[in-house]
Formats: sequence, C-alpha cells, structure tokens
Amino acid sequence: MKRCAAVAERSSPRVPLIAGALALLVYALAFASPYGLRVLTVAGVYALATFGFQIVFGLGGALSLAQGAFCGVGAYVTGILGSRYGLGFEATFPLSMLVPLLLALPVGLAVLRLESHYFALATLGIAQVLHLLAVNLPDLTGGSNGLAGVPAVVLFGWVVPRGLPMAGLVWGLVALGGLIGWRLARGRLGRSLTMLRDDPLAAGTLGLDVGRLRLTAFGISALFAGAAGALAVHTQRVVSPEVLEFPVMVSILTIAIVGGRGRMAGAVLGAVLLLHLPEWFRFLERGYLVVYGVALLATVVLAPDGLTGLLDRIAVCLFGRRQRTPVETREPPLPLDLPDGMTVEGLRKSFGGVLAVDDVSLDLRPGTITGLIGPNGSGKSTVINLLSGLERPDAGRVQLGGREVTGARADRLARAGLARSFQAAALPAGAGVLEAVAAARLAFDPDAKTAEAHAGWALGRLGIGELAAHSCDGLPAALRRRVELARALVRRPVVLLLDEPAAGLTDGEKADLAALLRDLAGEGMAILLVEHDMGFLLPLAGRVLCLDRGRVIYDGPAGGVRHDPVVAAAYLGRVASA
Amino acid sequence: MAALQLLVNGVALGAAYALVALGFVLVLNATSAVNFAQGDLVMAGGLLAVALAPLIPLPGIVLLPVVLVLMAALGLLLALAAYLPLRRRPPVSVFISTIAVGIILQNGAAILFGPEPRAAPPLFGDDTLHIAGLAVPEQSLAIVAVAGLLIGAQQWVFARTQLGRRLRATAQDPEMARACGVPVTAMILVTFAIGAACAGAAGLLLANRYFVTPTSGGDLILKAYIAVTVGGWGSVPGAVVGALLIALFEVGVSSVLSYPVALGALYLTLLAILVLRPQGLFGEAVRRRG
Repeated sequence: MKRCAAVAERSSPRVPLIAGALALLVYALAFASPYGLRVLTVAGVYALATFGFQIVFGLGGALSLAQGAFCGVGAYVTGILGSRYGLGFEATFPLSMLVPLLLALPVGLAVLRLESHYFALATLGIAQVLHLLAVNLPDLTGGSNGLAGVPAVVLFGWVVPRGLPMAGLVWGLVALGGLIGWRLARGRLGRSLTMLRDDPLAAGTLGLDVGRLRLTAFGISALFAGAAGALAVHTQRVVSPEVLEFPVMVSILTIAIVGGRGRMAGAVLGAVLLLHLPEWFRFLERGYLVVYGVALLATVVLAPDGLTGLLDRIAVCLFGRRQRTPVETREPPLPLDLPDGMTVEGLRKSFGGVLAVDDVSLDLRPGTITGLIGPNGSGKSTVINLLSGLERPDAGRVQLGGREVTGARADRLARAGLARSFQAAALPAGAGVLEAVAAARLAFDPDAKTAEAHAGWALGRLGIGELAAHSCDGLPAALRRRVELARALVRRPVVLLLDEPAAGLTDGEKADLAALLRDLAGEGMAILLVEHDMGFLLPLAGRVLCLDRGRVIYDGPAGGVRHDPVVAAAYLGRVASA
Repeated sequence: MAALQLLVNGVALGAAYALVALGFVLVLNATSAVNFAQGDLVMAGGLLAVALAPLIPLPGIVLLPVVLVLMAALGLLLALAAYLPLRRRPPVSVFISTIAVGIILQNGAAILFGPEPRAAPPLFGDDTLHIAGLAVPEQSLAIVAVAGLLIGAQQWVFARTQLGRRLRATAQDPEMARACGVPVTAMILVTFAIGAACAGAAGLLLANRYFVTPTSGGDLILKAYIAVTVGGWGSVPGAVVGALLIALFEVGVSSVLSYPVALGALYLTLLAILVLRPQGLFGEAVRRRG
C-alpha cells in the first residue's frame, strides 16, 4: 500500500477518458429520457464553469467565491440581450464571456497581491453586490422574477432544439473547453500557478510574477464562467436572480473538490456525479444541498485529491507507474553579457526600531566569490533577503547589471539575473525533481517542455541526472541542496546568492561543491556565499565581509579575517579556535 | 433627535454583530483558519431559540443559557468534524470544510423549519420605552446589555483566568504553548465552543427583531468577515469596533436610502478598504504564521 500512496506521476488519461466519453454518449443516445438529457446538459454547463474554477482555485490556490456570480453575469448578459434586444447567439455568447472578464480584471488587480483570505472575501463581496443589483434593477433585469423568453441557440440559421441537440452542443463545448483547460493546466501557466499556490515566496524568487499570474487565472476563470452561464440560460430559457445565489457557487466548489482539485477530468466527473446526486436523494427535495455539504466535507477530510486522485492511485496500484519518457537535455542560453554584477551601497533596514542592517555596501563582481560571515543574528539573512527582493530596504542603492533595481520585487530581480538559495531547501512537496527544477525556468522559457530540457541539463551538470524521475519528498538533505542548487543554476544567473550551502554536507560533498562553485565563478558568475564553515569558505572566497549587529566590521581579503581582532571579538574567539 | 434614534438602533444591531465577529476572530486567532460556518451558526442559534420557545414558555433571557450550552456543543462537533482532521493541511482546507458545514446547517435547517422567516421570543418584553422623546424598544436595550455582558465576560475570562491565559497562549503561538505544557488541542476545542456560543447568543438576540431564515447566515458571515477585516485581521477589540461601525453604517444609510443600497455601499467600501488599507483601519494584529 505504501508503494501506491506515493504517486508522483499521474496515470495516462487517455483510456479512462475515452471510455468515459463513450459511456456518456451511449447513455445520452440510447437510454436518457428527455429529463435525463436535461440533467446531463446542466451537468455539462457546470463542468464548463468548473474548468475555470480549477484554474484559479485548483491550480492557482486563490479561493474565488465569485465563480458562481460570474456564471450568473454571463447568464444575465445572454438573457437581457437575447430577450430584450433580440440579439443572436453569435453576439450574446462572446459578450457573455467578455462582461465577466471585464468585471474580474479590476477586482483582481485590486486584491490579488493580498493574502488569499482577503481574495475570498472580496470575491464574495462582488457576488453579493451583483445579486443585489439583479434584484433591485427590475427595469434591466426583471427584478426577482427575472426575464423569460430567452431565445434558443441559433447556429448558422439552425435553431438548436432542446433535448439531444442542445446536450450535444453543450458537451461539444465541454470537450473543447476541457481540452483548452487541460492544455493550460499542463503547460507553463498551470505549472507556474501550482508553483505559486504551494509556495508564493519561492515562486517570486524564481522570477514568477505572482500578481500577474493570479490575474490571468482569474480572468480565464471568468471567461469559462461566462460561457457556462450563457449556455445555462439557453437551456432554461429564463434567467432569474437564482443564478447569482450562493448555491451555484457551492455546487461549483463541491464539483471541483469532489472531482479532484486542479483536474479538468475531475470537473467533468464531479459535475456528472453531483448533478445526478439530487435525483437519487429525491426525498430531500430542495434540501439536496445537504448531500453536497456532506460530500464536500467527506472529500476534504478523507480524500483531499478527490475522485480523480483516488482513480489515479488505483490505476498505479493495478498497472504500476507509467514510465516517464526521458526528456532530451539542452543547455539553457547564457544571459546577455552583463559585466557589472551587483553593486550595493549604504543598505539599511530596520524592523520596528531594531536596526538589522546598517549601512552595508558590497560589490559582487563577475567571476568572483565573496563570503559573508558574522555571528548568528548579525543580519546576514536580512542582507540576502534585501538583495533578493524579499524585503524592501529602508535606504541604500542596489544595481544589478548596471541597472537601478533598488526596492524591486523578487520576481523582477530574478528575471534580471539574480538567483538565491534558501537555508532550508524549499522544494515543492509532492513534485518530481525534474519538475521542481523546470519550475525555475518557467519565467524564462516559452513552454514547459523546453523548461524540462533545460532542467535536465542542470541536473546533469550537478551529477544528479538519474534523480529526474524521483520525487522531491524523502530526498536526503545533501541531495535536496543539490536539487535546489540546480534550480538556481538552471537560470544561468548573473549573480548567485547562496545561504549556507555547505551546512550538513560531508567533507567529500563539500569538496565537490567547492569545485562546482569555482567552475561557476570561472564562467563569469558573481557569487555571494553566506557561511559559518570557515574551512569551506575561506579557501574559496577572494573577499570576505564580516557583519556584526548589522554593520560591516571587516571587508577585505579572505586570508586576513582569521587574524582580525575586531572579527575575533565579535565571535568571542570562536573564529580563532575554528 | 432622529440621529439619536438611529444611533440607538445601530448600537443594538452592532452589539449583536460584535458577538458574531468576536466568535469568528477568536477561532481565527486560535487556529489561523477562517470559520466560514460562523454565520450559519448564528442562524442555527436563532432557530434553536425558535424551536425551544414552545418547550420553555419563558422570556428569552431564560433560553439564553440553554442556547449557549447547546451551541457550544455544536461548536465542539464542528471542531471535531471539520477542523481537527485538517489541522496539518493548508488553511484553505479548513475554509472549505467549514463552508461544507455551513451548507449542511443551512439546508438542514431548511428541511426542518422551512424557508419562512421566524421570530424568537424577546429577551424580556416587547414594550417600547419612551425616554426623553426617544422611542427605545425594550429588546434593543436588552440586546446591548446582554451582548455587552457576554463580551465583558469573555474579556474577563481571557484576561484574568488560567483558562484565558492558556487560550491566549494557544492563539499567539501554538507550538510554543504546547512546549510550555498547554493542552493546545483542548484549548482549540474550547475556542470553537466559545465561538459557537457567541454565534448562538447573537442568533437569539437577532432572531426577535430581525427574524431568522435558514439562509440568513450568508449575510452575517460576510459582515463578521468585513468587521474583522476593517478592525484589523486578528484584533479582538478591532472586531468589536468594526462590527459597531458596520451596523451604524448600515442603519444610517438604510434610513436615508434603502437597505440594498446600504449593503451595496458596504461592500464597495470594503473593496476600497482592501485596496487602500489592507491591514484594516487599525492595523493587522496577526501576520501569517510560517
């Protein structure tokens, strides 16, 4: 059972997908009553809406509570334009997608950089405002009664009748939408979103623009919701404020979670299953949502990967893990020549009155290794955080490659050629090694495949090419560090900041690391090394800075630091005895 | 004079909202998780009072302790079913599990009670007192008094008792509290019980003048959420002040324009606050835990 529990690679989607599609087709053609077809059509509508939700929430981790309301907006756009102004499907359908998008963008811009719970609140607020508007603007929306007489879909002069043709149209669009969603999820966007869902801080230092990615995902979710809403109205032929109420949102959320977070197949499976559930619990009448609540709670607690996750595990247990096709490896291009490295002048940062970094200046020249030492709490980590954009300096100037980057966000610095490692290697849980390293290229490469080829090169360079298919979980510390180094290396950074890379390594591993760092410097990289291990650092570094209580107390050749009385005093003699 | 009248109504409503927000923020601090079912717990408290009223034909104030105890038990159940199994998972899991509990409560109530609005008995009486030209419903005064008393009692427990110190330690840093020998899991359960009891009390107080329907929780969770955001995420006094501000805003704008306009304006104000001052009007009290 243990072997089955560690699923690194998802099973092949083709066979079950084709079987599922055939089963639906046979059911729709041969067995479904007109009522059954209607339920199936509505399930298709929900699947379409959930595709968008899978992207913003399932992959991006932003709990949007406006997905139901965006559906409702799409429904109202089609309803109003179709029944009041007699516009046809070819005009109303694109507009139904466009209007939710136009709503999503300003809201998204406003709150997407905030903590995710604020995003949930803001989207819930939007949903409530939209519901209020629908009820209280009767001249436009028909008020609480809504609008009747929405026309059917007309395609190239053919009025699509209810029943099988409408179900066919909806499910055709589900297939199309699912394919688009699946491609997005597997591609650069989906992987970047997963990366920032699991660790927004690390995502920033890998060059991913968190706000822009979330905004893109939110926009896409609105497009899907609008399309679903339009189709819902063409099916029902009436639109009322009910489409904007919370139960729609609840259904979408339940479908996504029960089906499997972030999975397009999960959206379809969840929609078909949950839309048929009320039929099996008829005695509850309108209280069928209780069943949704129970299904949602049970899934979150017992099977957090949802039904598709369960099916995956069963498939892995039955058929074994699918072999990963070995990727070709390719050397990532070197950056354009940036001869200036990084220059820092008068850096200052205080936290609530405590001066953590006080007037620190340093110059990281290409081809050099600079050491940064100092007792615990002397401000080394703060300096690295300031240089990599995780903290904003209170004063000082930072230049990277000759360009002014003072106060720039982490993702901008990363894209400008800066890479850093963390003391505790921050690798995404559950991801494969190759995926984790490829994630560092997502902000640079045109597609995920190229990123993986580049990642393969970096793993080979560090001598861990055979780990590519391995999961990051359960790697020993030394290998985790190497994988993290590969993530930095694969970006061909101009400046590399390493936070205690030698901690916990054996002497042999330290020697390997030292040789690698020398090679990298030889290729023109500027390296800043924060280290406690003087035996490792001093032979390697040309220049060493020592910090004490935020101030530079030594700045000079590595050889002189052991004999410097000020440094010795700061360490209380620890350096001398090391 | 009209303004003073509105102030009385606003404070009464705000006192009830404050209880809702208080329960929400206590659970938030103890678990760093958003309890989305808080609004539906208020609804459950209100309907519980409605259901108990024929069994105990006495004024609402006698029902209050019964409602508090039963709701505390429901809070424990909520923690056991929807929080404890998920405590090692990302916070969004608890958000979703409490949404699920909210759905169950809301639709369970719809099956049991039907969709009609219902009223709970008043705390003391239905009379309207005339004080210096102001028409003050007795119930409004009772709401303010009872809510004030409950919030005061909660503050006293948290500030002055050993239990309160342990609860605060758990809220501040669960790992550290555990290391110091505080039974953290038990403290989290107690917090959920107190949070649900607060919600139940608010439900009883609100269900007389403002009625209660199975769907009234959605509105209330939003207001609690807004109150906590406005007051500074995680700040207990901020939540109470935020709740009062929201109620005054709602009563004030409704009197001039209408309730839907007031609600719409409230949400737009919220969005503006999120954009301009995401740390709340008085600053954020908790930062994300690492």
